[in-house]
Amino acid sequence: MSTPSSLDVLIEALRCLPGVGPKSAQRMAFHLLQRDQRGAARLATALGHALEVLRHCSRCNTFCEDEVCARCASPQRDASQLCVVEMPSDLAMLEQTHSYHGLYYVLMGRLSPLDGIGPRELGLEKFLGRACDGAVQEVILATNFTNEGEATAHMISELLKSRGIKVSRIARGIPVGGELEHTDSGTIAQALVERRSL
Amino acid sequence: MSARQRIDQQPGFVLHSYPYRETSLIVEVFSRDHGRIGLVAKGARRPMSQLRGVLMAFQPLLIDWSGGGEMKTLVRAEWQGGQPLLGGQALLCAYYLNELLMRLLPREDPHPVLFRAYGDALRALAAGEGQEVILRRFELALLQELGYGLQLDSDADGAPVRPELRYAYIIERGAVPLDEYGIDDPSVVAGRVLLDMARGDFREPETLAGAKALMRRLIQHYLGGQVLQSRRVFTELFAFPGDPS
Ligand SMILES: [Zn+2]
Repeated sequence: MSTPSSLDVLIEALRCLPGVGPKSAQRMAFHLLQRDQRGAARLATALGHALEVLRHCSRCNTFCEDEVCARCASPQRDASQLCVVEMPSDLAMLEQTHSYHGLYYVLMGRLSPLDGIGPRELGLEKFLGRACDGAVQEVILATNFTNEGEATAHMISELLKSRGIKVSRIARGIPVGGELEHTDSGTIAQALVERRSL
Repeated sequence: MSARQRIDQQPGFVLHSYPYRETSLIVEVFSRDHGRIGLVAKGARRPMSQLRGVLMAFQPLLIDWSGGGEMKTLVRAEWQGGQPLLGGQALLCAYYLNELLMRLLPREDPHPVLFRAYGDALRALAAGEGQEVILRRFELALLQELGYGLQLDSDADGAPVRPELRYAYIIERGAVPLDEYGIDDPSVVAGRVLLDMARGDFREPETLAGAKALMRRLIQHYLGGQVLQSRRVFTELFAFPGDPS
Protein backbone atom coordinates (compact mmCIF):
# COMPACT_ATOMS: atom_id res chain seq x y z
CA MET A 1 0.00 0.00 0.00
CA SER A 2 1.35 3.41 -0.95
CA THR A 3 1.37 6.29 1.48
CA PRO A 4 -1.37 8.82 0.68
CA SER A 5 -0.14 11.98 -1.05
CA SER A 6 -0.18 15.25 0.88
CA LEU A 7 -3.13 16.28 -1.30
CA ASP A 8 -5.11 13.25 -0.17
CA VAL A 9 -4.19 13.99 3.45
CA LEU A 10 -5.43 17.58 3.09
CA ILE A 11 -8.72 16.50 1.48
CA GLU A 12 -9.28 13.95 4.18
CA ALA A 13 -8.46 16.53 6.88
CA LEU A 14 -10.98 19.04 5.47
CA ARG A 15 -13.72 16.46 5.86
CA CYS A 16 -13.66 16.96 9.61
CA LEU A 17 -15.66 20.16 9.03
CA PRO A 18 -19.39 19.74 9.61
CA GLY A 19 -21.35 19.26 6.40
CA VAL A 20 -18.23 18.72 4.29
CA GLY A 21 -18.23 15.54 2.25
CA PRO A 22 -15.54 14.20 -0.07
CA LYS A 23 -16.61 16.40 -3.01
CA SER A 24 -16.63 19.69 -1.10
CA ALA A 25 -13.37 18.77 0.59
CA GLN A 26 -11.76 18.25 -2.81
CA ARG A 27 -13.15 21.54 -4.07
CA MET A 28 -11.80 23.38 -1.02
CA ALA A 29 -8.38 21.78 -1.31
CA PHE A 30 -8.05 22.68 -5.00
CA HIS A 31 -9.20 26.20 -4.30
CA LEU A 32 -6.70 26.71 -1.49
CA LEU A 33 -3.77 25.22 -3.38
CA GLN A 34 -4.48 26.58 -6.83
CA ARG A 35 -6.32 29.86 -6.45
CA ASP A 36 -5.46 31.21 -3.03
CA GLN A 37 -2.15 30.09 -1.64
CA ARG A 38 -1.84 33.23 0.52
CA GLY A 39 -5.24 32.53 2.02
CA ALA A 40 -4.24 28.94 2.60
CA ALA A 41 -1.12 29.99 4.45
CA ARG A 42 -3.11 32.45 6.56
CA LEU A 43 -5.62 29.73 7.37
CA ALA A 44 -2.89 27.32 8.40
CA THR A 45 -1.24 29.90 10.69
CA ALA A 46 -4.51 31.08 12.19
CA LEU A 47 -5.65 27.55 12.89
CA GLY A 48 -2.34 26.59 14.48
CA HIS A 49 -2.29 29.75 16.59
CA ALA A 50 -5.91 29.36 17.73
CA LEU A 51 -5.26 25.76 18.72
CA GLU A 52 -2.30 26.87 20.75
CA VAL A 53 -3.74 29.82 22.66
CA LEU A 54 -7.50 29.23 22.88
CA ARG A 55 -9.05 27.57 25.87
CA HIS A 56 -12.34 27.62 27.72
CA CYS A 57 -13.09 30.50 30.05
CA SER A 58 -13.13 29.10 33.57
CA ARG A 59 -16.32 31.05 34.30
CA CYS A 60 -18.51 30.87 31.18
CA ASN A 61 -16.86 27.99 29.30
CA THR A 62 -16.71 29.85 25.98
CA PHE A 63 -13.48 30.16 24.02
CA CYS A 64 -11.01 32.72 25.27
CA GLU A 65 -7.29 33.26 25.57
CA ASP A 66 -7.10 33.97 29.28
CA GLU A 67 -8.21 32.17 32.37
CA VAL A 68 -11.31 34.40 32.47
CA CYS A 69 -12.79 36.12 29.41
CA ALA A 70 -13.33 39.89 29.19
CA ARG A 71 -17.10 39.59 29.52
CA CYS A 72 -16.91 37.53 32.70
CA ALA A 73 -14.31 39.91 34.16
CA SER A 74 -16.32 43.05 33.34
CA PRO A 75 -17.73 44.93 36.36
CA GLN A 76 -20.46 46.31 34.07
CA ARG A 77 -22.23 42.96 33.88
CA ASP A 78 -24.83 41.88 36.42
CA ALA A 79 -23.33 38.89 38.23
CA SER A 80 -26.66 37.86 39.75
CA GLN A 81 -27.99 36.61 36.39
CA LEU A 82 -26.54 33.67 34.50
CA CYS A 83 -27.89 32.83 31.06
CA VAL A 84 -27.27 29.28 29.77
CA VAL A 85 -26.89 28.76 26.03
CA GLU A 86 -25.86 25.78 23.91
CA MET A 87 -23.24 27.36 21.64
CA PRO A 88 -21.12 30.53 21.35
CA SER A 89 -23.25 31.50 18.32
CA ASP A 90 -26.30 31.60 20.61
CA LEU A 91 -24.42 33.88 23.00
CA ALA A 92 -23.62 36.19 20.08
CA MET A 93 -27.33 36.36 19.14
CA LEU A 94 -28.31 37.26 22.69
CA GLU A 95 -25.61 39.93 22.87
CA GLN A 96 -26.96 41.47 19.65
CA THR A 97 -30.24 42.20 21.38
CA HIS A 98 -28.51 44.66 23.77
CA SER A 99 -31.20 43.66 26.26
CA TYR A 100 -29.31 41.39 28.57
CA HIS A 101 -26.65 42.58 30.98
CA GLY A 102 -26.00 39.48 33.04
CA LEU A 103 -23.39 36.79 32.48
CA TYR A 104 -23.43 33.62 30.43
CA TYR A 105 -22.59 29.97 30.55
CA VAL A 106 -21.96 28.19 27.24
CA LEU A 107 -22.59 24.45 27.39
CA MET A 108 -20.83 23.74 24.08
CA GLY A 109 -23.52 21.22 23.24
CA ARG A 110 -26.80 19.79 24.37
CA LEU A 111 -28.15 16.70 25.95
CA SER A 112 -28.90 13.87 23.55
CA PRO A 113 -29.99 10.77 25.42
CA LEU A 114 -30.13 8.50 22.35
CA ASP A 115 -26.59 9.45 21.38
CA GLY A 116 -25.35 8.83 24.89
CA ILE A 117 -24.74 12.50 25.69
CA GLY A 118 -25.86 12.93 29.28
CA PRO A 119 -25.09 15.32 32.14
CA ARG A 120 -21.57 13.96 32.50
CA GLU A 121 -20.66 14.20 28.80
CA LEU A 122 -22.01 17.74 28.80
CA GLY A 123 -19.79 18.69 31.76
CA LEU A 124 -22.67 19.84 33.94
CA GLU A 125 -20.43 19.52 36.99
CA LYS A 126 -18.43 22.53 35.86
CA PHE A 127 -21.66 24.41 35.22
CA LEU A 128 -23.01 23.59 38.70
CA GLY A 129 -19.83 24.89 40.27
CA ARG A 130 -20.27 28.13 38.34
CA ALA A 131 -23.99 28.52 39.10
CA CYS A 132 -23.44 27.92 42.80
CA ASP A 133 -20.70 30.51 43.26
CA GLY A 134 -22.91 32.51 45.64
CA ALA A 135 -23.38 35.56 43.41
CA VAL A 136 -25.84 33.98 40.94
CA GLN A 137 -29.46 34.47 41.95
CA GLU A 138 -31.21 33.57 38.73
CA VAL A 139 -30.29 31.11 35.99
CA ILE A 140 -31.98 31.88 32.67
CA LEU A 141 -32.23 28.85 30.38
CA ALA A 142 -31.85 29.88 26.75
CA THR A 143 -31.21 26.46 25.21
CA ASN A 144 -32.92 25.78 21.89
CA PHE A 145 -36.59 24.89 21.59
CA THR A 146 -35.80 21.47 20.20
CA ASN A 147 -36.42 18.28 22.14
CA GLU A 148 -32.72 18.16 23.01
CA GLY A 149 -32.71 21.80 24.12
CA GLU A 150 -35.81 21.20 26.24
CA ALA A 151 -34.31 18.08 27.81
CA THR A 152 -31.15 20.04 28.59
CA ALA A 153 -33.18 22.85 30.19
CA HIS A 154 -35.12 20.32 32.23
CA MET A 155 -32.01 18.57 33.53
CA ILE A 156 -30.39 21.84 34.55
CA SER A 157 -33.52 23.05 36.31
CA GLU A 158 -33.73 19.74 38.20
CA LEU A 159 -30.13 20.09 39.32
CA LEU A 160 -30.60 23.69 40.45
CA LYS A 161 -33.96 23.27 42.14
CA SER A 162 -32.46 21.55 45.13
CA ARG A 163 -29.81 24.28 45.42
CA GLY A 164 -32.15 27.19 45.98
CA ILE A 165 -31.39 29.09 42.79
CA LYS A 166 -34.23 30.69 40.83
CA VAL A 167 -34.52 29.14 37.35
CA SER A 168 -36.35 30.69 34.41
CA ARG A 169 -36.80 29.71 30.75
CA ILE A 170 -36.91 32.18 27.86
CA ALA A 171 -40.40 32.40 26.33
CA ARG A 172 -41.44 31.07 22.94
CA GLY A 173 -44.29 31.97 20.64
CA ILE A 174 -45.25 34.05 17.63
CA PRO A 175 -42.26 36.07 16.37
CA VAL A 176 -42.25 39.82 16.97
CA GLY A 177 -44.02 41.48 14.05
CA GLY A 178 -45.25 38.05 13.00
CA GLU A 179 -48.66 37.42 11.53
CA LEU A 180 -50.61 34.30 12.43
CA GLU A 181 -51.35 33.73 8.77
CA HIS A 182 -47.67 33.22 8.04
CA THR A 183 -46.68 31.32 11.19
CA ASP A 184 -46.29 27.54 11.18
CA SER A 185 -49.03 25.63 12.97
CA GLY A 186 -46.63 24.06 15.48
CA THR A 187 -45.63 27.48 16.78
CA ILE A 188 -49.22 28.68 16.93
CA ALA A 189 -50.34 25.51 18.74
CA GLN A 190 -47.62 25.91 21.35
CA ALA A 191 -48.33 29.62 21.73
CA LEU A 192 -51.91 28.66 22.57
CA VAL A 193 -50.76 26.09 25.12
CA GLU A 194 -48.42 28.62 26.73
CA ARG A 195 -50.80 31.60 26.56
CA ARG A 196 -50.79 33.95 29.52
CA SER A 197 -53.62 35.78 31.21
CA LEU A 198 -53.76 39.54 30.98
CA MET B 1 -36.81 -3.21 -12.41
CA SER B 2 -36.97 -2.34 -8.75
CA ALA B 3 -40.38 -1.33 -7.51
CA ARG B 4 -40.20 2.42 -7.14
CA GLN B 5 -42.65 2.68 -4.33
CA ARG B 6 -44.32 5.87 -3.36
CA ILE B 7 -46.10 6.15 -0.03
CA ASP B 8 -48.31 9.13 0.70
CA GLN B 9 -49.72 10.63 3.88
CA GLN B 10 -48.47 7.87 6.12
CA PRO B 11 -48.96 8.56 9.85
CA GLY B 12 -45.63 8.34 11.63
CA PHE B 13 -43.28 9.61 14.33
CA VAL B 14 -39.61 10.51 14.16
CA LEU B 15 -37.67 8.23 16.52
CA HIS B 16 -34.21 9.61 15.94
CA SER B 17 -32.24 11.50 13.35
CA TYR B 18 -28.60 12.07 12.58
CA PRO B 19 -26.56 14.10 10.08
CA TYR B 20 -25.99 12.61 6.65
CA ARG B 21 -23.72 13.98 3.94
CA GLU B 22 -23.37 17.74 3.66
CA THR B 23 -26.82 19.07 4.40
CA SER B 24 -29.06 16.05 4.87
CA LEU B 25 -30.45 13.99 7.69
CA ILE B 26 -31.16 10.32 8.12
CA VAL B 27 -34.44 10.07 9.93
CA GLU B 28 -35.59 6.92 11.66
CA VAL B 29 -39.36 6.90 11.48
CA PHE B 30 -41.93 4.66 13.12
CA SER B 31 -44.76 4.53 10.61
CA ARG B 32 -48.17 2.99 11.11
CA ASP B 33 -48.27 0.58 8.16
CA HIS B 34 -44.59 0.06 7.36
CA GLY B 35 -43.04 -0.12 10.80
CA ARG B 36 -39.63 1.41 11.42
CA ILE B 37 -38.04 2.82 8.30
CA GLY B 38 -34.97 4.84 7.46
CA LEU B 39 -35.51 7.97 5.37
CA VAL B 40 -33.03 10.38 3.85
CA ALA B 41 -34.27 13.93 4.33
CA LYS B 42 -32.38 15.82 1.65
CA GLY B 43 -31.29 19.32 2.58
CA ALA B 44 -33.01 19.12 5.96
CA ARG B 45 -29.98 20.64 7.68
CA ARG B 46 -29.97 23.76 5.55
CA PRO B 47 -30.73 26.79 7.73
CA MET B 48 -33.87 27.67 5.81
CA SER B 49 -35.18 24.14 5.34
CA GLN B 50 -38.91 23.84 5.93
CA LEU B 51 -38.27 20.36 7.28
CA ARG B 52 -36.11 21.50 10.20
CA GLY B 53 -38.94 22.31 12.56
CA VAL B 54 -41.25 19.60 11.30
CA LEU B 55 -39.02 16.55 11.72
CA MET B 56 -39.24 16.69 15.47
CA ALA B 57 -39.47 13.53 17.53
CA PHE B 58 -42.65 12.74 19.50
CA GLN B 59 -44.97 14.76 17.25
CA PRO B 60 -47.56 13.03 15.06
CA LEU B 61 -46.64 13.58 11.39
CA LEU B 62 -47.98 12.66 7.98
CA ILE B 63 -45.10 11.52 5.83
CA ASP B 64 -44.61 10.93 2.09
CA TRP B 65 -41.64 8.97 0.86
CA SER B 66 -40.44 7.13 -2.21
CA GLY B 67 -38.01 4.36 -3.03
CA GLY B 68 -37.94 0.66 -2.39
CA GLY B 69 -34.43 0.11 -1.05
CA GLU B 70 -33.25 0.04 2.51
CA MET B 71 -32.98 3.84 2.56
CA LYS B 72 -35.96 5.70 1.20
CA THR B 73 -36.23 9.34 0.29
CA LEU B 74 -38.41 11.62 2.33
CA VAL B 75 -40.65 13.61 0.02
CA ARG B 76 -42.77 15.55 2.46
CA ALA B 77 -43.53 15.70 6.16
CA GLU B 78 -46.52 17.47 7.59
CA TRP B 79 -47.15 18.33 11.18
CA GLN B 80 -50.42 16.77 12.28
CA GLY B 81 -50.87 18.70 15.49
CA GLY B 82 -53.19 18.12 18.38
CA GLN B 83 -50.47 17.24 20.84
CA PRO B 84 -48.55 19.72 22.99
CA LEU B 85 -44.77 19.52 22.92
CA LEU B 86 -43.24 17.40 25.63
CA GLY B 87 -41.18 18.90 28.39
CA GLY B 88 -39.69 17.97 31.73
CA GLN B 89 -39.60 14.41 32.94
CA ALA B 90 -42.22 13.38 30.36
CA LEU B 91 -39.72 14.25 27.64
CA LEU B 92 -37.08 12.00 29.19
CA CYS B 93 -39.63 9.17 29.37
CA ALA B 94 -40.40 9.66 25.69
CA TYR B 95 -36.70 9.33 24.83
CA TYR B 96 -36.74 6.00 26.63
CA LEU B 97 -39.68 4.82 24.49
CA ASN B 98 -37.85 5.84 21.33
CA GLU B 99 -34.70 4.08 22.36
CA LEU B 100 -36.63 0.88 23.03
CA LEU B 101 -38.13 1.06 19.54
CA MET B 102 -34.78 1.89 17.94
CA ARG B 103 -33.07 -1.06 19.58
CA LEU B 104 -35.77 -3.72 19.62
CA LEU B 105 -37.95 -3.06 16.58
CA PRO B 106 -36.47 -4.41 13.35
CA ARG B 107 -36.76 -2.23 10.25
CA GLU B 108 -39.67 -2.66 7.83
CA ASP B 109 -41.74 -4.78 10.15
CA PRO B 110 -45.27 -3.34 10.34
CA HIS B 111 -46.77 -3.16 13.84
CA PRO B 112 -49.97 -1.11 13.72
CA VAL B 113 -51.02 -2.26 17.19
CA LEU B 114 -47.72 -1.16 18.69
CA PHE B 115 -47.96 2.06 16.70
CA ARG B 116 -51.25 2.79 18.42
CA ALA B 117 -49.78 1.92 21.84
CA TYR B 118 -46.86 4.28 21.14
CA GLY B 119 -49.18 7.12 20.10
CA ASP B 120 -51.30 6.54 23.20
CA ALA B 121 -48.21 6.61 25.41
CA LEU B 122 -47.01 9.92 23.94
CA ARG B 123 -50.46 11.48 24.26
CA ALA B 124 -50.67 10.33 27.88
CA LEU B 125 -47.20 11.74 28.59
CA ALA B 126 -48.18 15.05 27.01
CA ALA B 127 -51.35 15.08 29.11
CA GLY B 128 -49.28 14.69 32.27
CA GLU B 129 -50.58 11.24 33.28
CA GLY B 130 -48.65 8.93 35.62
CA GLN B 131 -45.37 8.20 33.88
CA GLU B 132 -44.54 4.87 35.50
CA VAL B 133 -47.86 3.38 34.42
CA ILE B 134 -47.46 4.71 30.87
CA LEU B 135 -43.99 3.17 30.60
CA ARG B 136 -45.08 -0.23 31.95
CA ARG B 137 -48.08 -0.39 29.61
CA PHE B 138 -45.89 0.44 26.63
CA GLU B 139 -43.19 -2.06 27.59
CA LEU B 140 -45.84 -4.78 27.88
CA ALA B 141 -47.32 -3.87 24.49
CA LEU B 142 -43.86 -3.82 22.94
CA LEU B 143 -42.84 -7.27 24.16
CA GLN B 144 -46.27 -8.66 23.29
CA GLU B 145 -46.08 -7.26 19.75
CA LEU B 146 -42.52 -8.39 19.15
CA GLY B 147 -43.63 -11.93 19.87
CA TYR B 148 -42.07 -12.27 23.30
CA GLY B 149 -45.61 -12.56 24.65
CA LEU B 150 -45.62 -12.82 28.40
CA GLN B 151 -47.79 -15.41 30.02
CA LEU B 152 -49.04 -13.58 33.08
CA ASP B 153 -52.29 -15.23 34.14
CA SER B 154 -51.17 -18.84 33.93
CA ASP B 155 -47.98 -20.42 35.17
CA ALA B 156 -45.33 -22.27 33.16
CA ASP B 157 -47.37 -25.50 33.39
CA GLY B 158 -50.61 -23.82 32.31
CA ALA B 159 -52.24 -23.70 35.75
CA PRO B 160 -53.95 -20.38 36.63
CA VAL B 161 -51.72 -17.99 38.57
CA ARG B 162 -52.90 -17.64 42.17
CA PRO B 163 -52.71 -14.21 43.77
CA GLU B 164 -51.46 -15.47 47.15
CA LEU B 165 -48.53 -17.46 45.71
CA ARG B 166 -45.06 -16.29 44.85
CA TYR B 167 -43.51 -17.12 41.52
CA ALA B 168 -40.11 -17.10 39.90
CA TYR B 169 -40.53 -15.60 36.45
CA ILE B 170 -38.16 -17.54 34.19
CA ILE B 171 -37.58 -15.80 30.89
CA GLU B 172 -39.01 -17.74 27.93
CA ARG B 173 -40.58 -20.27 30.26
CA GLY B 174 -42.92 -18.26 32.43
CA ALA B 175 -44.02 -18.14 36.05
CA VAL B 176 -42.92 -21.07 38.19
CA PRO B 177 -44.65 -21.29 41.58
CA LEU B 178 -42.32 -21.21 44.56
CA ASP B 179 -42.97 -22.89 47.85
CA GLU B 180 -43.69 -20.74 50.83
CA TYR B 181 -40.06 -20.14 51.73
CA GLY B 182 -39.02 -19.33 48.20
CA ILE B 183 -35.63 -17.76 47.76
CA ASP B 184 -35.34 -14.00 47.75
CA ASP B 185 -34.23 -13.56 44.17
CA PRO B 186 -34.83 -10.68 41.72
CA SER B 187 -36.89 -13.06 39.63
CA VAL B 188 -39.44 -13.53 42.41
CA VAL B 189 -42.78 -11.88 41.77
CA ALA B 190 -46.10 -12.15 43.61
CA GLY B 191 -49.00 -13.89 41.85
CA ARG B 192 -51.13 -10.84 42.62
CA VAL B 193 -48.71 -8.65 40.67
CA LEU B 194 -48.78 -10.97 37.65
CA LEU B 195 -52.57 -10.97 37.61
CA ASP B 196 -52.73 -7.17 37.92
CA MET B 197 -50.30 -6.86 35.03
CA ALA B 198 -52.35 -9.28 32.93
CA ARG B 199 -55.35 -6.98 33.44
CA GLY B 200 -53.29 -3.84 32.89
CA ASP B 201 -54.20 -2.65 36.36
CA PHE B 202 -51.30 -0.75 37.93
CA ARG B 203 -53.12 0.96 40.79
CA GLU B 204 -51.38 -1.01 43.57
CA PRO B 205 -47.91 0.35 44.40
CA GLU B 206 -46.75 -3.27 44.84
CA THR B 207 -47.85 -4.04 41.28
CA LEU B 208 -46.09 -1.00 39.89
CA ALA B 209 -42.85 -1.87 41.68
CA GLY B 210 -43.05 -5.57 40.77
CA ALA B 211 -43.89 -4.81 37.15
CA LYS B 212 -40.97 -2.39 36.91
CA ALA B 213 -38.49 -4.99 38.17
CA LEU B 214 -39.88 -7.73 35.92
CA MET B 215 -40.04 -5.58 32.77
CA ARG B 216 -36.56 -4.29 33.40
CA ARG B 217 -35.18 -7.81 33.60
CA LEU B 218 -37.04 -8.92 30.45
CA ILE B 219 -36.02 -5.87 28.42
CA GLN B 220 -32.42 -6.24 29.52
CA HIS B 221 -32.57 -9.84 28.34
CA TYR B 222 -33.99 -9.02 24.90
CA LEU B 223 -31.53 -6.16 24.47
CA GLY B 224 -28.81 -8.77 24.70
CA GLY B 225 -26.31 -6.66 26.59
CA GLN B 226 -26.93 -3.32 24.84
CA VAL B 227 -26.97 -0.48 27.35
CA LEU B 228 -29.98 1.85 27.25
CA GLN B 229 -28.45 5.32 27.04
CA SER B 230 -31.65 7.11 27.99
CA ARG B 231 -31.87 5.07 31.21
CA ARG B 232 -28.23 5.80 31.99
CA VAL B 233 -28.85 9.53 31.52
CA PHE B 234 -31.87 9.31 33.82
CA THR B 235 -30.00 7.63 36.63
CA GLU B 236 -27.02 9.93 36.21
CA LEU B 237 -29.24 12.94 36.69
CA PHE B 238 -30.57 11.67 39.99
CA ALA B 239 -27.22 10.54 41.27
CA PHE B 240 -25.34 13.67 40.32
CA PRO B 241 -22.22 14.28 42.37
CA GLY B 242 -22.67 16.88 45.05
CA ASP B 243 -26.44 16.63 44.89
CA PRO B 244 -27.58 17.64 48.38
CA SER B 245 -30.74 15.53 48.18
ZN1 LIG C 1 -16.21 33.96 30.36
